[in-house]
Amino acid sequence: MRSSSYTVLPARGLRTAAALALAAGLATAAPAAQAQARADTGTGTGAGTASSALAAKPYMGWSSWSMQSSKYPGLNPDGDYSYLTEANVLKQAGALAAKLKKYGYEYVNIDAGWWRDKDWKPGFDRYARQKADPVRFPRGMKPVADDLHAKGLKAGIYLPVGLEKEAYNDGKSPIWNAEGCTTADIVYDDLRTTNGWDSAYKIDFLDPCAQKYIDSQAQMFADWGYDFLKLDGVGPGSFKSGDNYDNVADVAAWQKAIAATGRPIHLELSWSLDIGHAADWKKYSQGWRIDTDVECYCNTLVSWENSVDDRWADTPAWTRHAGPGGWNDLDTLNVGNGEMDGLTKAERQSYATLWAIAKSPLYTGDDLTRLDSYGLSLLTNKEVIAVNQGDTPPARLVTASDPQQVWAAKNPDGTYTVALFNLADAPAAVTADFSALGFTGRAAVRDLWNHENLGTYRDRITQALPAHGSRLFTLTPKGAAAVSLTGYEAESRDNTLGGSASIADCSTCSDGKKVGNLYLGGKLTFNDVVVPEAGTYQVRISYVSGDSRSASVSANAGGAARHTFASTGDWGTVSTATVPVQLKAGANTITVDSGSDYAPDIDRIDVPKSS
Amino acid sequence: MDTRTPEPGNEPSRRTLLSLATTTLAGALGALPAFTAFAAPTRPAEEPAERTDSRHVLWWQAPGDAHSMIEQGLPVGNGRLGALTGNDPGRELLLITDATLWTGGLNDTLDADGQFPYGRDDFGSLTLLARLTVDLPDHDLGAVSGYRRTLDLDRGVVTGSYVRDGVTYGREAFASRPDDVIVVHFTQSGGGRYTGTVTLEGTHGEDPAVSFGAAFPNGLRYGAAVTAHGSGGRVTVHRDRIDVAGCREFTVIVGGGTNYALDAETGYRDPSLDPVTLALTKVRDAAAHPARVLRRTHIADHQALYRRFGLDLGASTDRQRELDTWERLNLRHTSDTPDPELEAAYLHFGRYLMIAGSLGSLPMGLQGLWLDGNDPDWMGDYHTDINIQMNYWMADRTGLSPCFDALTDYCLAQLPAWTDLTRRLFGDPRNRYRNSSGKTAGWTVAISTNPHGGNGWWWHPAGNAWLCNSLFEHYEYTLSRAHLERIHPLLKGACEFWEARLLTAAAPDGSGQVLIADSDWSPEHGPLDAKGITYAQELVWTLFGNYARAAAELGRDREHAARITALREKLYLPEVSPKTGWLQEWMSPENLGETTHRHLSGLVGLFPGDRIRPDGSTPKEIVEGATALLAARGTESFGWANAWRALCWARLKNADMAYQLIVNNLRPSAGGGNGTAFNLFDIYQTEPGRGIFQIDANFGTPAAVSEMLLYSRPGRLELLPALPAAWADSGSVTGLPARGAFTVDLAWKDGEPTSIRVSSTGGRETTVAFRGTSRTVRLKPGESVTLKGLGR
Repeated sequence: MRSSSYTVLPARGLRTAAALALAAGLATAAPAAQAQARADTGTGTGAGTASSALAAKPYMGWSSWSMQSSKYPGLNPDGDYSYLTEANVLKQAGALAAKLKKYGYEYVNIDAGWWRDKDWKPGFDRYARQKADPVRFPRGMKPVADDLHAKGLKAGIYLPVGLEKEAYNDGKSPIWNAEGCTTADIVYDDLRTTNGWDSAYKIDFLDPCAQKYIDSQAQMFADWGYDFLKLDGVGPGSFKSGDNYDNVADVAAWQKAIAATGRPIHLELSWSLDIGHAADWKKYSQGWRIDTDVECYCNTLVSWENSVDDRWADTPAWTRHAGPGGWNDLDTLNVGNGEMDGLTKAERQSYATLWAIAKSPLYTGDDLTRLDSYGLSLLTNKEVIAVNQGDTPPARLVTASDPQQVWAAKNPDGTYTVALFNLADAPAAVTADFSALGFTGRAAVRDLWNHENLGTYRDRITQALPAHGSRLFTLTPKGAAAVSLTGYEAESRDNTLGGSASIADCSTCSDGKKVGNLYLGGKLTFNDVVVPEAGTYQVRISYVSGDSRSASVSANAGGAARHTFASTGDWGTVSTATVPVQLKAGANTITVDSGSDYAPDIDRIDVPKSS
Repeated sequence: MDTRTPEPGNEPSRRTLLSLATTTLAGALGALPAFTAFAAPTRPAEEPAERTDSRHVLWWQAPGDAHSMIEQGLPVGNGRLGALTGNDPGRELLLITDATLWTGGLNDTLDADGQFPYGRDDFGSLTLLARLTVDLPDHDLGAVSGYRRTLDLDRGVVTGSYVRDGVTYGREAFASRPDDVIVVHFTQSGGGRYTGTVTLEGTHGEDPAVSFGAAFPNGLRYGAAVTAHGSGGRVTVHRDRIDVAGCREFTVIVGGGTNYALDAETGYRDPSLDPVTLALTKVRDAAAHPARVLRRTHIADHQALYRRFGLDLGASTDRQRELDTWERLNLRHTSDTPDPELEAAYLHFGRYLMIAGSLGSLPMGLQGLWLDGNDPDWMGDYHTDINIQMNYWMADRTGLSPCFDALTDYCLAQLPAWTDLTRRLFGDPRNRYRNSSGKTAGWTVAISTNPHGGNGWWWHPAGNAWLCNSLFEHYEYTLSRAHLERIHPLLKGACEFWEARLLTAAAPDGSGQVLIADSDWSPEHGPLDAKGITYAQELVWTLFGNYARAAAELGRDREHAARITALREKLYLPEVSPKTGWLQEWMSPENLGETTHRHLSGLVGLFPGDRIRPDGSTPKEIVEGATALLAARGTESFGWANAWRALCWARLKNADMAYQLIVNNLRPSAGGGNGTAFNLFDIYQTEPGRGIFQIDANFGTPAAVSEMLLYSRPGRLELLPALPAAWADSGSVTGLPARGAFTVDLAWKDGEPTSIRVSSTGGRETTVAFRGTSRTVRLKPGESVTLKGLGR
């Protein structure tokens, strides 16, 4: 029978039960080349440098959790999360190998529960390491990995961060290959808990036994032949903050332990990782979940509102952190079967589009034996996969974070990857203005989803999008010129500050200053914005905002348009959003007004010299 | 001096004018209830000229979908049968309505408070007739490019087009009055094929079926039917759907209606009419003709009305013209730059809705013919304390007098029931609005009325006067004696009601005795039990005057009219509050209501009434008090409330204020906010995040435009009384009707008339004024005169 917690806990709470215990391990003296290389990565355009054998590109594959977590009829007949069995994993692996492998999908990732029985009771070996549940995995975990390898696939496995409470065993369990160490040595005396579910005791890495424990787990996975580890419940993140939930040391220990095994094991962190620690995640891992679970824990795998659509709001702040060696993980891509996914065709295409352009790992959680034809076409569109896997930067949000959005990347070959999104609940036309992308003139447009050349467009492209819909294009400029901009600093004496608005220092801002305190009527007016002719100008607003905020932008006596500005991740990072502003020939005023809400801090605006 | 120029060939010209005004349309419409068997239409032999004037074409770059039809669906209608069309490439959707498909009934059991129940079962609601879908699975919106849809106001046709794999696909939808069906025609060029499914479903529990019929508990029978034909492939009609396979083009024809009849004696039913049989007959008859023949028949019929009125408010810029309608609304809002062609198109959109929604059947209520479900707010009913009146202000003012007749027909058909309900129920001791005299006579209505003779919600004593005043204004525009004869019983019964209701009271200024209205509520704020509210005093004052004129014109009821005139002279009329400086809405110097309330009930004498005039004939302090009250109401209300304000400011000759309110109504509605939706329907935000469609602003705003261009009353026309700077550079209007039964063709430059032509549609004498200059014009019906020397 099910424990009551399965039914009363909210979705995230359900994952509590999915957290874990631990096991033993050992560390060999394998060289840590991989780790060293990763540690050298900077904060520029991406993570990895030299040895990014791991995660040179976003990984592709399948994960078990979406089906485990769903109440879709028939998926979990033996209780919640019961889908996870060797038979099911291998069945999915077979389908993956047959249908998707040739497109680049290779990882088969076993998620939470492989060491838990039907009633979610965990099992550990004598070294406090997770032990395969004999019902789910009667042959143990190694034969599964072997079978996956035999299909030409890679094997992934899962752990929660920390020492699972049930593994503690009154502190008496010895640590494998660590003479004198027991579980009592690796945690704090007060048994403080950690991870996103508080399901584990926090590990005290001041004690050398702690690293040994992590080493013992890593070595176990290496011995079994696993290629991928998802470390879950990691903080700061996983809806937790504060010292007890700071798992940076755990992640570092894992990176070290994996390196010591000598086996390349991709380390992926979950969930909703704190962007303030992005440098740590980049240093120690190959990917990090930027958001909460995409799954809805409902009768389908996901739903649009819970919580696919969060990604459009939350990804922009992370974009600059993605690159070879470490990627922004938007979570599972469940677009393969409309009925099971719980999404419209338009939503599925948008879902796949954002994942592709953001260079998120592409791992589906669908039942690969039941892909519908549209789902298969989404998962196997080579042009779209190439956007994700190619040597191109992730697209960034170009416009404001409004219901109609444009994301784009300028590619090394001079083309642009451009995605249009309509996140509104009703159809809308969405326009990508070339000047917002940085060029003017004509461009040839290739429709990647439809494998169709749409011809040459001048200055902009507009398409009709259904509710929650998208389009994905490659634009090839034809003799286009770069957009020439005129900058206006927010802190200029020529401007007018209203209400609470004030000038503040900002080391990352141009000229070192910005205008902040734009709230509850506070506003900033640029007084002398001169353009040669009347028109709609794509004005680039440079702003700082530690959270998503909105502001009204208007020109002269015209009505204001309210725009949402995506979080820049913190109050020290500048991002840009381009918004259309109606200007007249000659001098104009442009006003950014907080209205009845809180607006971002404004660094500057840049106005094109022509509309 | 004025040059009177009888048209070359005076007699033919006169015949033309008169035939337009009465014979062709009024004849056809008056004689034939819409959903009934009638003779095959006259079909024009030639295709209509391809119009090149893009000013009459609204266009968009996104379709509507099933969940946003009220803001994104494009309306079509044949005066009775209407639809919102979605135009999604992969799934065309039509939400089909019939003006008469009402639940509910007479609703004559009062609630405990002496007022009427107001529910969807007792009072009733307008509901949807059917949903028509055309699924084309290969044409998913995500797989097409270059999507575009248009609403061609001049032709009365909705179009959609897009490219799929190099093939350009197009479709047209229209609702034909001559053929009494809705047609959706699918075409392509480039070797494309259509494969898909046509499905018709009722909205009251019916299964999909190519024809269906049923009846409401109130006995109203309804039915609908669909058929289709195509070429180059196969069209297969099944019981529950029509399959289209491999067609180069195909046509879907849908029809339907009810056995409602505008006749109290038969309980508002035509017992001999079988709606489903009639629907099948109509779609089969129409299917015997190619789509292009149906189309040109429809276009000719539509243009006979649409082209009666022309408007040019000035030229827009190329930049404005290149944008789609939604982008243009946004540009108008954010640039604060006039877009004269868009502003004129908004008026024409209202005219389009009037032609589509009000011919030969019931009049338009709160949403006209267009619904997205069976639970429209306030039942989609007839609200008698502003909304239905506003709906029809523009009909006469923009050359659509035949569309007004639906309101007249409705009121006449309801009169027996309204009289009966008033006699039986108004004096109920629980009714707070009953006459304290204990006597009841004549008829009145509640704030809401339905088409079953029934009332809903609270009694509305002065509603009878307002309805009558609207009906009389139509007489002033047309001078149709036949119309006056028809409405005379309504006016008389309303006067009798007030004879029994007026109370004698001491005049506030101590000047003696005055007559005041009994306890009432000034719509829709303030005390529920105020005597002598300005709203009632003004409406009754106008009613009594109209009745006397009707009696004189018809030579009837002279003694009664003399008594009514005597009462009118004793009616109390509002004063200016010494405390607020406002014209008093109540017989009190205090502001007893909400300062910025949506209603302008206290200003009903300024508009639509015509007692308060800023021309020296009304005491200055009264005009100033009215102006002060109007100013206090502000400019930040919503659709119909802004439109009413604009009309009042136009009457006060304040062009800037009137124009600002029109511009405010053009604001694009976002997130349910007040303003204009994507499809140009007016949206009223009832609570944050929830906007509903109310059609009255779509009509009230055009009425305001017309009043800015021309003030008229019998015997006097004032040109360009409130022309805003935005339209002043140059412009013109043709076929602009005036009270007194004239039409005006007028062009202006720099705010002054450059050419003026006045034609009589029945009027014989009027002065025509521009600013301080005026001329007297004498014409016979059908004659025209060109005026010189007014303005430049």
